[in-house]
Amino acid sequence: MADLSVEICGVRLKNPVIAASGTFGFGREYNLLYDISVLGGISTKGMTLEPRLGNPVPRIAEGSSVILNAVGLQNPGVDYFIKNDLKFLMTKGVTVIANVAGKTLEEYGEICARLDGLVHMIELNISCPNVHAGGMAFGIKPESIEEVTRISKKSLSLTPLIVKLSPNVESIPANARAAERGGADCISLINTITGMAIDLEKRKPIIANNTGGVSGAGIKPIALRMVYEAAHAVRIPVIGLGGITSGTDALEFMAAGARAVQVGTANFTNANAMPNIISEMNSWLDAHGIKDVNQIVDTLKLN
Amino acid sequence: MKDLLSEVKSNERIAENIYMITLTLPEDAGAMHGGQFANLSTGNGQHLLRRPLGICKVDGSDISLCYQVKGGGTRYLSTVPAGAKLQVLLPLGNWFDLEEYKSVAVIGGGVGIFPLIRTVAENAPQKDFYCYMGFRNKNAVCLLNELSGCKKLTVTTDDGSYGAKGNAVEAYLREADNIPAEAIIACGPPIMLSVLKRELSQKGFKIPCFVSLEERMGCGMGACLVCVCRLEDGSNARVCRDGPVFSIQDVKL
Ligand SMILES: Cc1cc2nc3c(=O)[nH]c(=O)nc-3n(C[C@H](O)[C@H](O)[C@H](O)COP(=O)(O)OP(=O)(O)OC[C@H]3O[C@@H](n4cnc5c(N)ncnc54)[C@H](O)[C@@H]3O)c2cc1C
Ligand SMILES: Cc1cc2nc3c(=O)[nH]c(=O)nc-3n(C[C@H](O)[C@H](O)[C@H](O)COP(=O)(O)O)c2cc1C
Ligand code: FES
Repeated sequence: MADLSVEICGVRLKNPVIAASGTFGFGREYNLLYDISVLGGISTKGMTLEPRLGNPVPRIAEGSSVILNAVGLQNPGVDYFIKNDLKFLMTKGVTVIANVAGKTLEEYGEICARLDGLVHMIELNISCPNVHAGGMAFGIKPESIEEVTRISKKSLSLTPLIVKLSPNVESIPANARAAERGGADCISLINTITGMAIDLEKRKPIIANNTGGVSGAGIKPIALRMVYEAAHAVRIPVIGLGGITSGTDALEFMAAGARAVQVGTANFTNANAMPNIISEMNSWLDAHGIKDVNQIVDTLKLN
Repeated sequence: MKDLLSEVKSNERIAENIYMITLTLPEDAGAMHGGQFANLSTGNGQHLLRRPLGICKVDGSDISLCYQVKGGGTRYLSTVPAGAKLQVLLPLGNWFDLEEYKSVAVIGGGVGIFPLIRTVAENAPQKDFYCYMGFRNKNAVCLLNELSGCKKLTVTTDDGSYGAKGNAVEAYLREADNIPAEAIIACGPPIMLSVLKRELSQKGFKIPCFVSLEERMGCGMGACLVCVCRLEDGSNARVCRDGPVFSIQDVKL
């Protein structure tokens, strides 16, 4: 058994495997299937100040080795979370990451202030491509990334801040550096890649929102390249995600420079994906005589 | 709810474009009621999403699901041979809870008949079922032998090639005043359910009616909020976990 524990900006995770936002709710449902305390962490469904109903259905479609979604940030609002789900999650012995979004800079500041000190980490969703009014705008340009990061960080005195980068941008290194300048303690990437799926008979997009965010196994090569770029552009730690399905996928992201990983779509394909990934990481490390998972981090040797 | 690696016992065509797949579960996954569903892997790694299919038959550790070949996933599924292993998450969702009723009208259209078959099988003969089952044409008619426990069975086809011409809702409405049903259960295409709601609403919803809905799904267990339907009170409900069975008066159709 290798030591799988990792530390990210002062927060200790028992292993590097974190549930990706939006695929795991607040953990209650998956906890009926397995004890979610085996996980390193959980990033919650993206929350906003006010409750949101989200987009019309259909909200999901499938491509070859990928899926597309446009849920549109349906969530019960941050106050509901604090009242009804926070305690459940915090007693599970996993690192709790609150994923948050806002329509305005002020909303980002306000939602961070409400969660400061209540959760282990906060993850800013500045890249969700699904909501017309919010999300995307903040995550595209370095200037606005720096600004939204700075405002959010100013509201936080206790809880470390992760900024989750969008892949639908010009330069990942520039955006990663912008988040670092704004005061981010950590970066996670990638969020979904904007795409479209079409019903040819109806000549219509399948998803009601027309476009959706592409995720799942098929995006892994893109995500790996971006995680590598981000990890080599900043000094703050990076959490890698995008298409992770197996223990070796997770270790590839860590070799590319990630200190931890998140798993999203794989939970749909296989409800036990994350416990499996954790044990596969262990087996691979054991088979290679590696005693500590941190020894894998940033070991990639370019050709 | 368990995610199990099941073995395909058989996977056979039972009507035009319709297959029945029987899976042997490696362990007990608890009681399975009509209306509940399974989230089945197609076995092809390119399909990252599982397919939600209603539980149609239960026989010890064997469960049978019936599916219509529609898109790529079900087409691939129809080629999976006996002996193959498929991952299946089940049982999911709520079910047609008929505890309070002795006599029930059952309205099914197309693939909507499959979950209803399980409901009839688990409750007959203690309850009286008046069934109205609609198919496209005679080539689509299947599994009528599974409904032998019904008090009365009326079959319709859109083109009149088997049974009465027309659809199941029309057949029910013709007899509604002459059967002693205390509740209605229904499953079928969205258009069938919205017509049913309109008709029942005009009559003032004299008896409770429960419908099972379909929506595209991600997790199948309530975590991802992909599969919602809109309720009359303006809120969203998850078809996979708050449903798939709802009171027809509660959902917007
Ligand atoms: C609770 C529930 C029970 C169901 N029970 C049955 C049943 O017993 N028998 C049966 O034949 N069909 C049933 N369906 C519908 C069945 O899930 C779809 O026909 C099937 O998923 C289509 O997959 P595909 O690979 O053919 O299509 P594709 O177009 O390849 O599918 C792409 C994606 O869309 C989803 N999808 C497409 N159409 C539907 C639909 N109508 N409903 C939900 N998801 C859809 C697929 O699951 C997949 O994720 C049920 C649906 C639900 C929600
Ligand atoms: C159904 C669904 C909902 C999502 N909701 C959110 C969200 O609320 N906030 C967010 O930051 N990312 C959200 N994401 C993006 C994922 O967290 C993740 O970044 C992306 O899916 C890539 O990882 P994967 O390939 O492992 O799924 C969502 C993804 C999916 C599939
Ligand atoms: S499919 Fe995930 S909530 Fe219903």
